[in-house]
Amino acid sequence: MESTLDSLLLGFSVALRPDVLWYAFLGCIVGTLVGVLPGIGPLSGISILLPVTFGLDATKAIVMLAGIYYGSQYGGSTTSILMRIPGEAASVMTCIDGYAMAQKGRAGAALCIAAVGSWIAGTFGVLMLTLIAPPLATFALRFGPPEYTALLVLGLIFLAYMSSTSLPRTLLMATIGLLLGTIGIDSMTGHFRYSFDIAELGDGLGIVPVAVGLFGLGEILSTPSADVVGRVMTPKLRELLPSWAEWRESAFPIARGSVLGFLIGLTPGSAHIISSFLSYALERRLSRHPEQFGKGAVAGVAGPESANNSASTGAFVPMLALGLPTGPVVAVLMAALLVHGVPPGPQLVSEHPDIFWGFIASMYVGNVMLLALNLPLVGLFVNVLRIPYVYLYPLVIMFCVIGVYAVNNSIIDVWIMLIMGVFGYLLRKFNFDPAPLVLGLVISPTFEMSLRQSLVMSNGNWTIFFQRPISAVLLAISVSLLLLSAVSMLRQRKDWRTKLAEAEAGEPSP
Amino acid sequence: MNLRNDHVTGGALIAAGLIVWALSADLPTGRLSMPGAGMMPKLLCVLIVFFGIALLLRAKESPLLSTVEWADIRHAGPVIAITAAAAALYSTLGFVITMTLLLFALLCFERRNLVAAAIYSIGISVATYALFTIVLKTPLDQGLLPI
Repeated sequence: MESTLDSLLLGFSVALRPDVLWYAFLGCIVGTLVGVLPGIGPLSGISILLPVTFGLDATKAIVMLAGIYYGSQYGGSTTSILMRIPGEAASVMTCIDGYAMAQKGRAGAALCIAAVGSWIAGTFGVLMLTLIAPPLATFALRFGPPEYTALLVLGLIFLAYMSSTSLPRTLLMATIGLLLGTIGIDSMTGHFRYSFDIAELGDGLGIVPVAVGLFGLGEILSTPSADVVGRVMTPKLRELLPSWAEWRESAFPIARGSVLGFLIGLTPGSAHIISSFLSYALERRLSRHPEQFGKGAVAGVAGPESANNSASTGAFVPMLALGLPTGPVVAVLMAALLVHGVPPGPQLVSEHPDIFWGFIASMYVGNVMLLALNLPLVGLFVNVLRIPYVYLYPLVIMFCVIGVYAVNNSIIDVWIMLIMGVFGYLLRKFNFDPAPLVLGLVISPTFEMSLRQSLVMSNGNWTIFFQRPISAVLLAISVSLLLLSAVSMLRQRKDWRTKLAEAEAGEPSP
Repeated sequence: MNLRNDHVTGGALIAAGLIVWALSADLPTGRLSMPGAGMMPKLLCVLIVFFGIALLLRAKESPLLSTVEWADIRHAGPVIAITAAAAALYSTLGFVITMTLLLFALLCFERRNLVAAAIYSIGISVATYALFTIVLKTPLDQGLLPI
């Protein structure tokens, strides 16, 4: 504990440097804007701005990009409450009661509860990250290739289990991602795979063009400008304070949302989206007045908003401690660290303590910054929504092109983005979630390498995965999850994942 | 038979899996004790075909193909075409000219006032170029324009 505190002090000495503070501030501002604007999610925001961080050192880069990530969770609630438009997917549940509160003239109170809840949950998440990540990283140092293979298999199966689309669809997307990840030079034998004599493909498909194409461009292609209409409601500063009764009603939902969100954040999948849905369901179940949900229940705003912020922080635990991305946003953040020559994983704490602890400390600072920024400046952020979408989306396309091109100064990457944009558009049409594809792409090299290394070290004996205790346990959990999913599919039961899919599609769930 | 979404996606995925398998023909599969460069891709092709078959078998649970809404293709089609043209011209024309043309074309497609569209396109492109090259120190292509 003492060493954790000493390390945290080291982190604060990094995070409170004026230059690092400036980039944390910049990240929070951009993140809030990304969260406010419909059509630009945290993933495209981070991907587009990734090249901007190339000139920075690794600490500033990751601090700024993480600021965009958790800033977007704060910003997403603003449009949900004021306009019933979720700025990003995790704010879908906030739309229901947040907008109903706004209709009753309590928009300011809803925004304040969402911001304070987000701050408490974000800080709780960082506190847990501080306590859990270092010992987990120490434990992960025992992992060899078979354990990593089993861990990645578990990650993919867990992702499929938690997904709101069906198990085969999610695993299929992850498999396509893994296959795309094999493009380029095979690092063990030097063979070129599927590069079709295009030199740029020798290095493989970059995560940025694929992610920006699938999420940034794909979203724009699916959103005709005529469909985006917005009436902007701006609450006054003095209307922001909730009443005593509203504070009291939000206290326990915030606490429950923080714990639930963090736990779900540790698991692969769209944790911040799932956590907000589950928190909403939990609050409705526990409420003495469930009939108020949908009509402006304070708990319906406080719980989901806290849960999605806590989940965003929880997602950093597997990334920092194990080098395992649990979602596409975290995968892009991992790519950002790799670009700066800092591999995330068990060695990060021991080899780059300034980056690890500086990053954690910056999240404490960033959460305070967001609280201070979001409430007084809500009117300013909301005004961004007055920019007509027809002027906004060409701008986003331009930034997609710059963002993708600037990573390698390669026009091939822009073409890949365009192809992925079309692919993302088609995936939406046929009800596929593109997130597992990005995840598969990111883990593909590690997965293939650890699988092949395991087979080489066991002289081709595949039972090595069951002979080593850690990998055997991880694989046993994977098999259990597959069996649970199979039972659910065979019984045709409507479980929480089906209800989540319905909620995301805006359909009622009986 | 009424064609459903997953009949199309399942069929397309089986075809894709087989095509990638064929493209992997020259990659050595190796042995289990020394896997080659082709082992992983071929394994993944098998999985894709397997999931494609799973989708086909459960296709009756998916919506009818005729219910897929394609109205937004009138927006998506021109956006794809304009962005593709920008990608093709970028290396030759450089950032400012290409992005001005990209923004202007998209705004014209949205039936905005031509003068306003031109001012917006030029202003945004030049400002972004200045932001990236001067403030963020990230060089962008000059192309034909000697800035």
